[in-house]
Amino acid sequence: MINKFAILGLMIIGISCESREEITRQQYVVEGMNLYQTNCANCHQVDGSGLKDLYPPLAKTDLWQRIKMSELACIIKHGQKDSIRVNGKPYNAYMPANPKLQALDIAELMTYMREKWSPNKTIFSLDSARYALKNCP
Amino acid sequence: MQQKRIPLSKIVFVFLVVLGCQQEKKLPFLGPKEVGKQGDTLYHKIPDFKFLNQDSLWVSQKDMAGKIYVADFFFTTCPTICPTMKTQLLRIFDKFAEDDRVRILSHTIDPEYDGVRVLKDYAKKLNITSPRWNLVTGKKSDIYRLGEKSYMVTAQEDANEEGGFVHSGAFILVDQNRHVRGIYDGTKEEDVNHLIEDMTLLLKE
Repeated sequence: MINKFAILGLMIIGISCESREEITRQQYVVEGMNLYQTNCANCHQVDGSGLKDLYPPLAKTDLWQRIKMSELACIIKHGQKDSIRVNGKPYNAYMPANPKLQALDIAELMTYMREKWSPNKTIFSLDSARYALKNCP
Repeated sequence: MQQKRIPLSKIVFVFLVVLGCQQEKKLPFLGPKEVGKQGDTLYHKIPDFKFLNQDSLWVSQKDMAGKIYVADFFFTTCPTICPTMKTQLLRIFDKFAEDDRVRILSHTIDPEYDGVRVLKDYAKKLNITSPRWNLVTGKKSDIYRLGEKSYMVTAQEDANEEGGFVHSGAFILVDQNRHVRGIYDGTKEEDVNHLIEDMTLLLKE
């Protein structure tokens, strides 16, 4: 009897914990979408297709497997001066920094972009964003 | 049940009204007007100009003679509205790809940085080709004066602004005779749809 209750209890806790994280993730996705449209879509386009050979695409790219997420977080925050290769093609228009974006904004943005374009659709947590930004080159 | 017949005269009348309305639709002439010597109206006109394009060729009003064109002001390192404007201009460029009566004229407002080489690189990456789409550079004061006085848009340096310049995202539609016939918000897709409709209309004039 006790065993059954214990298992049931653990299951309930397990489910609620998981869904709590999932709720946070979904909130990040919604907030991230707004942030993306305000700060990124101008150049990378709403659908992430980029602008011809001038600005690189984000959708359907090798970025999500090839580049560390912490590195992407730093590029969003501090911009990109050097050329970057996406799907084997070099892009060398500079990307401006986004000094206004805080760790939470970056966490939301990254979570949104992962949801849309990465095979790994997990949350990019606030802690991960803070850690990444603290250790930018 | 008996169906009431509509008299032919009524049909003709409605037809004429509709036809009349359609003929009414004509684009306005924008900008300050003057009265000529014979009491006729002289519409605002784009004056002579001469700039260098991405292929290091001179572009002047002569190259626009008999063409309709869309003018805009931008700079290649602009982090804000320019990419959106270029996305919209690319739609126009593609839409009228087969029509030699249509031109696009993009003026840089940062000619110190945007020299011919920079414009060429930008054009290449966006697949923009002259003479259908000229990206032009020249003397800063000439570009600013033409922008403000003739195309009626704002174009200024401003250190407080992101990217260092303040400028409007306007697209200016100029007709075959150098008259301004419409001003549109080049950052809004619906506004640019409207511009495309007006261009089609203007080509019929």
